[in-house]
Amino acid sequence: MIDCDVHCAPATLEALGPYLSDYWREYTTTAGIRLLGMASAYPPNAPTTGDPAPDSYDALREQVLEPFAPRLVILNCLTLCEAHRNPHYQAALASALNDWLIAEFLDRDERLRASLVVSTVDTDDALSEVERLGGDPRFVQVLMPIRADTPFGNRRFHRLYASAAERGMAIGLHAWGRAGHSPTTTGYTLSYVEDYLANQVIAQTHVLSLVSEGVFETIPRLRVALLECGFAWLPSLLWRFDKDWKGVWREVPWVKERPSSYVRRHFRATTAPAHLPPGNEGSTRELLEMVGTELLMHASDFPHQHGPSAAATYELLSDEAREAVLDANAAEFYAFAR
Amino acid sequence: MSVTQATSQTGAETPRQVSLVDCDIHPTLTMPELQKRVSERWRRHLERFGRRTPMITEFYPRTANAGFRLDSWPEGPGGFPGSDLGLLQTQLLDEFDIDYGILNSLGLLNCHEVPELAAEMARALNDWMVEWMDEEPRLLGAMVVPYEYPDLAVKEIERCAGDPRWVQLIFPDSAEDPLGSRKYWPIYEAATGHGLPVAVHTAGYWPHLDTGWPSYYLEEHVANSMRMQSQLTNFICEGTFRQFPDMRLVLTEAGVAWAVPLTWSLDSAWEQLRDDSPPIDRRPSEIVREHVWFTTQPIEEPDTPEEFAQMIAHAGLEDRLLFATDYPHWDFDSPAQALPRSLGPELRQKILAGNAAELYGLPLAPPE
Repeated sequence: MIDCDVHCAPATLEALGPYLSDYWREYTTTAGIRLLGMASAYPPNAPTTGDPAPDSYDALREQVLEPFAPRLVILNCLTLCEAHRNPHYQAALASALNDWLIAEFLDRDERLRASLVVSTVDTDDALSEVERLGGDPRFVQVLMPIRADTPFGNRRFHRLYASAAERGMAIGLHAWGRAGHSPTTTGYTLSYVEDYLANQVIAQTHVLSLVSEGVFETIPRLRVALLECGFAWLPSLLWRFDKDWKGVWREVPWVKERPSSYVRRHFRATTAPAHLPPGNEGSTRELLEMVGTELLMHASDFPHQHGPSAAATYELLSDEAREAVLDANAAEFYAFAR
Repeated sequence: MSVTQATSQTGAETPRQVSLVDCDIHPTLTMPELQKRVSERWRRHLERFGRRTPMITEFYPRTANAGFRLDSWPEGPGGFPGSDLGLLQTQLLDEFDIDYGILNSLGLLNCHEVPELAAEMARALNDWMVEWMDEEPRLLGAMVVPYEYPDLAVKEIERCAGDPRWVQLIFPDSAEDPLGSRKYWPIYEAATGHGLPVAVHTAGYWPHLDTGWPSYYLEEHVANSMRMQSQLTNFICEGTFRQFPDMRLVLTEAGVAWAVPLTWSLDSAWEQLRDDSPPIDRRPSEIVREHVWFTTQPIEEPDTPEEFAQMIAHAGLEDRLLFATDYPHWDFDSPAQALPRSLGPELRQKILAGNAAELYGLPLAPPE
């Protein structure tokens, strides 16, 4: 079993001290910066948040590796996604988090892999980080939280994607990200539940953008994982996308195939949250058929709690499909040894 | 402060001679204290989900002392600058012999919360400020209202307005809609009906809808004045002052010098384009002079101090400037030093107290 989305995070900025320069240590200290633990994305006491993400290898071993016995684990550290906008600080913090991931986790257990944390405000800084650490095969993808300034198909990102693909890395689009923007295309939200649900709509925006901007024609080796973004929305999106493309493809001649064929070839999605109709096996089966289980990769999303939907989904799969979702699909996507 | 006659103890008996008014003091009600003051339903919500809008310091950390005067942190656990009345009295009111200071709470200005919670937070903040005003008669208050829900905001105004120590209402300078919009008119109607000026203070959701987000606090802090220029322009273009001829607007913590070239450009554009915006029924500079006040801190400081006085004279804003310290923030303006010498003693005194006394009707009549 491969778990494609397990969270970890330093509990305090002090844990990153050894990986920050004197300037940034002083900056964070005198400005009184604390790590808020992505509190707007994961309010500490919300029912969906669960316990704090493991902040050490020992905690991870105790909470994930021993109880679930995964063959491989991909660690996603979202600590960078606080609100701050200083690009120099972003770059320094991203590097510190990656150095912390290596020392605290990757060097301590062969089963561990991680997403590379990169600046979400400056593409050149992100590129530098890929060049610095992307040669390490334990970093399997570049982490791109979806609450961003710009849709991800924008040309500014293409050189980053090319560099990642060259190194055999995927792009990991993960729920949440930059606070401050309205999470929806229609304006501010008032409730956490609306914010939480906005992720699956924002993910669709990026899928639309990546295909429409011709990213996969330019960089045919690029692969994209949708992490914690859901997947039940894929069929309806692709129906509409294909239909519109058939009508107006002349506007985007670089999109040479039906949009759904790019998505089916280049994208995979993790299983948590699933958000499928509870207790309605028939609908769930049909939906899984429409999505295609070959697109799904298992994730516990530890420590977050999205309800029983994902577990119920596994019970409906054939043995073969379940094995593929639990292990083989991810092994193929990330080119892990079987 | 040679002309100061007032003392803090007199209060009820002796009419005060007002010689120093601080129009921008920031008290802080800490989260644990706020939680004690809202109903169980909404305390649970705050504990579980927190606040939905990030604080501006999360976007743009202040790189020294977290943005506060180093000496403004109270001793003991859980304290925050502006949370301790005793310290505020010692460091500000006593130190500078301030006759009146206006409490501008930012506690609801960075929040976009569900209506019931916003209303409860406003009520809690107002009741807490009343406690401070009861204990310290030099303090006056800016009423906090759930401004995104005009019906609830009007209710809060009606609940509080009988107390003359509420001398204005407070709005953030970036809200869901531009502040001149009709959405907010019921609030202005209620405030104006009670003779309350409306203060707009730099705060809000910081959406940077114009060009996107800047990188640094330096940019963000300078940009406060730009956001206020957009709001003032919007009030004029939407005809808000025409609708409420008695409305008085206090633009707070955004500086003042920008208002002069802005009124020039408003006037010259209006000459040519007046047909485009019927609500602008007369020269915009006249509207500004009649309806708008400005607090001084952080005051602009040209290399040649005379130029500040010239600029103010150009627009005839001498009666419209209100002194403010911005205690306890890092860029605190001292009453003893902040105003440029070029303004001359008479104008300085108007700015330090006279203009505020006239706007807010100070000294307040002694309580019955």
